[in-house]
Amino acid sequence: MNYFLSAIERTLLTVISAALISIPALAGEYNGPNLSGQTVSIAGPWLTADEDSFEAVIAYFEKSTGAKVDYAGSDSFEQQIVIDIKAGSPPNLAAFPQPGLAANMAAIGGLVPLGSKSANWVKKNYAAGQSWVDLGTYKNKNGKKEFYGFFYNVNVKSLVWYSPENFADSGYSVPNTMEELVVLSDKIVKDGGTPWCIGLGSGDATGWPATDWVEDLMLRTHPPAVYDGWVSNDIKFNDPRIVSAIETFGKFAKNSDYVDGGMAAVGSTDFRDSPKGLFTVPPRCYMHRQASFIPAFFPKSVKVGSDADFFYFPSYSTKNLGNPVLGGGTLIAMTKDSGATRAFMEYLQHPKAHEIWMARAGFLTPHKGVDLNQYSSGTLRKQGEILQNATTFRFDGSDLMPGSIGAGSFWSQMVYFVSGASAKKVADNVQASWDSIK
Amino acid sequence: MAGQLLDSLIAVVSGIGVCVLYFAGSNYLLERIFSDAEGLSSYKDQWRRAIQPWLFLAPALFLLCVYLVYPVYETIRLSFFNFGGFDFVGLKNYLWAFGNPEFMKAIYNNLLWLVFVPTLSVVFGLLVAVLADKVSWGTLAKSLIFMPMAISFVGASVIWKFVYDYRGPDIEQIGILNAFVMLFGAKPQAWITLPFWNNFFLMVILIWIQTGFAMVIFSAALRGIPEESLEAARIDGANEIQIFFRIMIPQILVTIMVVWTTITIIVLKIFDIVLAMTNGQWNTEVLANLMFDWMFRGGGDSGRGSVIALMIMIAVIPIMIWNIRNFRREEEGR
Amino acid sequence: MKPASDQKFCFSTILNSTGLLFLVLLWILPTVGLLVSSFRDKDQLALTGWWTALSTTERNEFRRTGISNEQYELDGNYVISGKLIEPGGKLIQTFSTNFRDLTANNAGETAIFKDGSLFTLKKNGDYEWISAVPFTHKRGKRIFYVAKVPPTFSLDNYYEVLTSEGVGQSFINTLKVTIPATVIPIMIASFAAYAFAWMQFPGRQFLFISVVGLLVVPLQMSLIPLLSIYNDIGNYFGVSAKSYPGIWLAHTGFGLPLAIYLLRNYMGSLPREVIESAKIDGASHFQIFTRIVVPLSVPALASFSIFQFLWVWNDLLVALVFLGKKDDQIVLTSKLRELLGSRGDNWEILTSSAFISIVVPLIVFFTLQRYFVRGLVTGSVKS
Repeated sequence: MNYFLSAIERTLLTVISAALISIPALAGEYNGPNLSGQTVSIAGPWLTADEDSFEAVIAYFEKSTGAKVDYAGSDSFEQQIVIDIKAGSPPNLAAFPQPGLAANMAAIGGLVPLGSKSANWVKKNYAAGQSWVDLGTYKNKNGKKEFYGFFYNVNVKSLVWYSPENFADSGYSVPNTMEELVVLSDKIVKDGGTPWCIGLGSGDATGWPATDWVEDLMLRTHPPAVYDGWVSNDIKFNDPRIVSAIETFGKFAKNSDYVDGGMAAVGSTDFRDSPKGLFTVPPRCYMHRQASFIPAFFPKSVKVGSDADFFYFPSYSTKNLGNPVLGGGTLIAMTKDSGATRAFMEYLQHPKAHEIWMARAGFLTPHKGVDLNQYSSGTLRKQGEILQNATTFRFDGSDLMPGSIGAGSFWSQMVYFVSGASAKKVADNVQASWDSIK
Repeated sequence: MAGQLLDSLIAVVSGIGVCVLYFAGSNYLLERIFSDAEGLSSYKDQWRRAIQPWLFLAPALFLLCVYLVYPVYETIRLSFFNFGGFDFVGLKNYLWAFGNPEFMKAIYNNLLWLVFVPTLSVVFGLLVAVLADKVSWGTLAKSLIFMPMAISFVGASVIWKFVYDYRGPDIEQIGILNAFVMLFGAKPQAWITLPFWNNFFLMVILIWIQTGFAMVIFSAALRGIPEESLEAARIDGANEIQIFFRIMIPQILVTIMVVWTTITIIVLKIFDIVLAMTNGQWNTEVLANLMFDWMFRGGGDSGRGSVIALMIMIAVIPIMIWNIRNFRREEEGR
Repeated sequence: MKPASDQKFCFSTILNSTGLLFLVLLWILPTVGLLVSSFRDKDQLALTGWWTALSTTERNEFRRTGISNEQYELDGNYVISGKLIEPGGKLIQTFSTNFRDLTANNAGETAIFKDGSLFTLKKNGDYEWISAVPFTHKRGKRIFYVAKVPPTFSLDNYYEVLTSEGVGQSFINTLKVTIPATVIPIMIASFAAYAFAWMQFPGRQFLFISVVGLLVVPLQMSLIPLLSIYNDIGNYFGVSAKSYPGIWLAHTGFGLPLAIYLLRNYMGSLPREVIESAKIDGASHFQIFTRIVVPLSVPALASFSIFQFLWVWNDLLVALVFLGKKDDQIVLTSKLRELLGSRGDNWEILTSSAFISIVVPLIVFFTLQRYFVRGLVTGSVKS
């Protein structure tokens, strides 16, 4: 198995990859080595439109190098990759939507370290490079920190989606502060409408949309240092500051006047279903807080930019915490080494691999070398602006927590919370499960 | 397409062919080498008789060892190791399990399932079997009730998600259960999130599937009851209900127990329905789903997953012992 | 006397019939709901219950009018006209420009807008918008309406699911998994069952009980240890760990305890005399097995085949672990699960794909159920 490679072999591979890096990129075009006859297998979470986009990225590599790249997207990627790595039959590359899971896999020796050259490349070429390096650096089986993966495809989560025409027809305007947002919500209720659509349903992963809410509210009620402490559990999950953030979420989700279908519907409504309420006649709700990918689940007739738009999930004007932005992203890590795999990793660092997807949809990148005009729409460019205007950027906390918390008890306890439990109770429960894995 | 079909055909035929070849070939060889030309109970004949059962059994025993015995051994071993399976931790995983509220919750829910699912499946199965024997369209009725047996758990979950679907009280329901409830003026409910009762809404799905199985077997067993004993009771003036409880039930008691234990074992391993409907949330966790969670989700913890797996096994063992005792008693009677 | 008993008989039959009918209806209702829904128009399906499928439903919608460059002059006024909805089907009842007041105007009436323009909308969706001053808008104005929609049924949902890539291929893959994974365990189990029933060897009882005892092993538990073995073998021979023979053997291993148990019970109940007399005639065990026991056991064999077929066809977990997700290996259940995962919000996809996944098992089941039942019963009912 690959993670048992000797130190010498590993060094050799690093040397080879370093050599590959030093090939100069020519005016936005990618020229790969000749790899005909070689195969790279990739597993990831991208399906449907995303899968098509990634296939387009792959096709360019295949054409340039002659290698064959097999991408298998799966809805159950999180379990599939664990089964495959534990059994020793992983693909060459895996695209992890959760760095926490990648860290777990690194801890059992399931990932191949990329070496400091790659880390330096990310540091130099990504906006806020060091933070991206940190997000891809984990302890290996022996407790030593190594760099394992870099981000490819980033998204912004602090967005509120709405129908500009519904706002205009009702005389509502986009709120600039959290206080205004609450006033607007109350006004909508007074007008006989329902301000929010919130749905936590997501099959095996039910509950995750609530974790995004809590994280966004954490960044809006406490300094980023508290957020970092929370994510690493240096600040306990049941600390009053975290409990208060959960309670703030409860003010939206557990207020039956505020949410479509009432509190009972929040837990059981599919997250893909919930934004549809923005577009019904009459609208079942006026606002929907969700990440940049959500337009994929809008009704087909809805045009983003005119029928639907978004605004930044605002911060409190009284709290002086600036404009925090919550984001997420997909981390590419190597699960089985090979020459062609290394070459494909190099390709993903090339601007071309980013621009192909940028020109399609649902792709943001921190890569500084890309041509921003390649973004397919003004919407994406606007999200890029939110990213740039951020005074604080933090990665999705639940994706950084250990898998059994961030993709386990945090999810299920948030479901418990919206079905009636108190914030203190669920925070205690999450902390208890965190204690049990220490 | 034709190429793929041909490939598949070749694969299928060769897979089966290898199997045929083994049984026919090995027995042919055996009979050639140890032919009993020298007469009965010769030395060669004895050898043949000693070897042949093992030729019959070998593939089955080999596969059972690889696919079931070895994993059991491996699971027991892993239950003493940490999450990645490389550090020995002694009984730590076991202690964790019994101190963990979620684990206890899963055990409690499993017990609920154990009490209600086999019982209700047996009751409904018997009811249908008895009723269907008395009407002209009984066969049709039985096939319709048996039909869910053919549906995968994934398929069944979609079907029932549709039944339990919940919309807010102001808009039209598309789930038939809520529509039905609203017909009586009650408020619609998000059924699968109602604490405690949601367990029963999940159980309904398994009862829906297993009743057919119970019914078919009971219906055959009832037909096996000698007509004379029923006639004798009728002449004595017993009504149909008395006949059912005093004659039929005692006659098929063994069959009822067989069906009951079979469904019990299925219930203990129940996994797909919970995974697809709630994934254990809203307090519906069961052991098999909890185990799957710990084994594979969020990076997995093979130590804790293994402990839960062993708990499921241990729970099934008494039922199996009972079953095997029964079997032995029958063996002796034979 | 006689008529009274007849009456009683009649009464109890009616009671039986209604009771049974009630149960049967209860049992098929969920499946019927799925079936009906899968043929419905996808918009109706998400908005109204399937039991209303045959009735005309009311729906709230909006459409946009034409934009300013479509206007023409007529008698000194500026006019935009056209069709708001496709002809046929829907009939507009009321309309409005305000979604909070959908019943403001009846179809056929003329509404006076705030700017003084006149808007007329007919039942069939033809509209005419007249203004004294030129229109300047760049986006069509939203006209909200309540329409009566007659029931529509179509195969569109099925078309959509079946044309999504790879469903046909995964159908073949499923067959490629299912057929050997049904035949191989039957063969292996029947030989073993015969040995347990009619051959003498030391430890027979103990071994059989151990085999039956293996019924307790939860399937999920064996996945990772097995995949590790597969992987080592795959590495040794330089082949992929995920292969068809691999999954055939896995299904065989998992199916064996039940198969051996059922078949041994059946074979054990065959009349002893038949086998003894064949032995006296000099037949070997292999001959007795192939010529006497197998033909006599056809119902049990058929029944277990159907059982195993359904199990393998419906399996998701084993296929997820032992087969890859590439086009040449992905099975139907796995493919459909991917569809469900990525399209979990689309009931039309869910219902039609779920029905596709159950239709083959249903056909197999309904055509062969006689054998299924016969074999299943003889395995567990002692005469």
